[in-house]
Amino acid sequence: MTATLVPRGRLRPVSVGGARLARPVAWALVGLLGLVTLVAVFARQLAPYNPIQPVGPLNLPPLSPGHLLGTDGIGRDLLSRTLIGIQVSWLSALVVVASGLLIGGTIGLIAGATGGWVDAILLMRVTDLFLALPGALVAIAIVAALGSGLVNTLIGVAIVWWPYYARIVRGEVKALAARPHVEAARLAEVSRPRILTRHLLPGVVPTAVVSASLDVGNVVLLLAALSFLGLGQKAPAPELGADTARSLSQLLSQWWVPGIPGIAVLMLSLIANLGGDAIRNLMPVRR
Amino acid sequence: MSGLATPVAIVSDYSLSLVRNGIRSQVLKHIDLQIRPGEILGLVGESGSGKSVLALSLLGLLPHSSYPEADGEVTVGGVDMLRAKPAELRRVRREVLGAIFQDPMTSLNPTMRIGKQIGEVTDDDAESVRLLETVGVRDAELRLRVYPHELSGGLRQRVMAAIAVGGRPGLIVADEPTTALDVTVQAQLLDLLRELRADFGCSVLLITHDLGVADQIADRLAVLHDGVLVEIGPAADVVRNPQHEYTRSLLASRLSLTMPRDERFTGAAEPAEPAVRIRDLRRTFTVRRGGGRFRGDSGEINAVDGIDLDIALGEALAIVGESGSGKSTLLRIVAGLDQPTSGSVTLTGTGGPQMVFQDAGSSLTPWMSVGEMLGERLRRLKLSRADVKDRVIAALAAVDLPPEVGKAHPGELSGGQRQRVGLARATMIPPAVLLCDEPTSALDASLAKSMLALIRDLRARIGMTVLFVTHDLAVARLMGDRIAVMQAGRVVELGPAEQVISQPREAYTRTLLAAVPEIVEGAAR
Repeated sequence: MTATLVPRGRLRPVSVGGARLARPVAWALVGLLGLVTLVAVFARQLAPYNPIQPVGPLNLPPLSPGHLLGTDGIGRDLLSRTLIGIQVSWLSALVVVASGLLIGGTIGLIAGATGGWVDAILLMRVTDLFLALPGALVAIAIVAALGSGLVNTLIGVAIVWWPYYARIVRGEVKALAARPHVEAARLAEVSRPRILTRHLLPGVVPTAVVSASLDVGNVVLLLAALSFLGLGQKAPAPELGADTARSLSQLLSQWWVPGIPGIAVLMLSLIANLGGDAIRNLMPVRR
Repeated sequence: MSGLATPVAIVSDYSLSLVRNGIRSQVLKHIDLQIRPGEILGLVGESGSGKSVLALSLLGLLPHSSYPEADGEVTVGGVDMLRAKPAELRRVRREVLGAIFQDPMTSLNPTMRIGKQIGEVTDDDAESVRLLETVGVRDAELRLRVYPHELSGGLRQRVMAAIAVGGRPGLIVADEPTTALDVTVQAQLLDLLRELRADFGCSVLLITHDLGVADQIADRLAVLHDGVLVEIGPAADVVRNPQHEYTRSLLASRLSLTMPRDERFTGAAEPAEPAVRIRDLRRTFTVRRGGGRFRGDSGEINAVDGIDLDIALGEALAIVGESGSGKSTLLRIVAGLDQPTSGSVTLTGTGGPQMVFQDAGSSLTPWMSVGEMLGERLRRLKLSRADVKDRVIAALAAVDLPPEVGKAHPGELSGGQRQRVGLARATMIPPAVLLCDEPTSALDASLAKSMLALIRDLRARIGMTVLFVTHDLAVARLMGDRIAVMQAGRVVELGPAEQVISQPREAYTRTLLAAVPEIVEGAAR
């Protein structure tokens, strides 16, 4: 009987899967997102040293005078390298995710709302084609064809990144389009573009934003992998993932050299996820 | 039935507060109640009166997420349901309690076969079959192998009942068990509850918003209003000689087959051209049977099976039928939301078809304000901003809503207000025909009554043609100049409303009428 005893209707929990964030907490997290973005934008001004030149003794531990986060194996300031690394990773990730949302979201919205052959060809075929290919390899191939460099890497990653969003948005739109409020809008002689933008799109945004925020961490990692392979940021330039990977052998002797950029990646993903949740909670969407 | 035995459940001086949407509110206030062995106690109240919460308290299932704060005692089978340990609560639920909820689809596990779900109580297929037969399920042995979605609503509710009585409970808590069912199925289920009481000697707490249902089956009746138990006593006394003012107003707001009817439209002149002309309309759905993925054994269901109807300009036609009779499909085709397989629908007049949906909440876009949604209907007219605002306020006033509602989002409105907004949207530009799909079935009786009055008023004001679909014969009689009774996709009876109700020609119409729980001898005024 236990399986049958939960009634539906009244008295359902307000949110399933975790309590909702209180508004002040949510705003604080959104503030944190803004702060990270500000730090990323002004990283060059904030960095105390040149991140590429050796500026101090080798392998200084964190909290050493003059070098807050210590120095690496050839005496470069870790704080400066991390700040510039955050700039590259964070801004790149935002660009990739934003372009993915824009391209994938538009395709998913149109395909989901239109249905029929547009859905079948535009989405089922083209999107599935992209999804079937191993994303990282395609990105590598694209970068190899365009020539290495940060901008080309971003283009390469963005090209393989949108199909996920197209899928997610299409599914959400399909579910929403079956709701009576869309039929009511059709009966009320609302134009098609307006149904898309006013009656469907706002309902998709929460899901899209949350999955996008979960993805920021993935993009950071993919960019790190690419730069490790020599695609993307070139070797001396600071890059969080690449820095971690290159100095991994020092993990037991000088943990901070690979550890600090690694922790920065972790923090970026965490802030992105929490921030995404917070944005969703603050959005005035009731279902 | 001896009143001297120890009560199965005792609720004494019970108060409860819950947190909803971040606000703590007092849901129940000083409730005193006893359920005697073998009695059927009806618990009546409108939505929000706290009757479901009382049921959950008796089951020991108050949601933790609402941070319940209780005062007083709720005892079932000698166990304190508010403070006992989870293991103890489980034991009481297993041994003493049975539960039937409003929506049997969501209360049954969709991924488990029926046999397995009953087996959780009986541990024995033979016993399960016997139970299913007791609750009136035919071919019980075959039913054990199916999943809940393969059963009709009535059958699902019977399965729930079988599970509820499986553990030989002392008390069955039935929370609105018939609300989602057709009248004929409702009558069967009420009979079933009575039989179960006779066979197993268990008590039943029957929660309902319908006094007619309570009057038919309950021994005693308790009336709950805003968390306060306003009246309790023998059912016949409460219904026929109510002491409390609230009980009287509940009785007065009940829609019955004998209530006075508005006759102001009956003299409508017959114009040459009907407002809606439906000719040989058919809609066929293809369903795959057998469940196997590649078994091409497909069947066809004729949801609408050759309907001819003319609705005169300014006339209101009520369509009555049980679920699955095709009445909603017919309405959707007239609205243009579905395409007929063959046949035609011709609308004369301007404004197109407009619809008031059954579930007002889901027919309004949650993230748009009411003003925006109403304003959308005026976009074609290319009015100035101020004009749009004026027309929106006028439309809200026409459905008795204050202008401030324009700024609200649907989530901030009550069910009745939402349905009014839906009506305002449909009628702010007079439609060629107003289609109503059970607009009041989700509302409390008093709200339903005022909503129906509003539709009638609007109809008089702008001379609307109305097609009103309902499963409730009393509503049909009230709203329709004529009534069409639908069964299995066909119109089986069509005639003036009063005549269909008082002198039905078809056996099916008589069956429907007989199943309506009426309060005979009339209520006290």
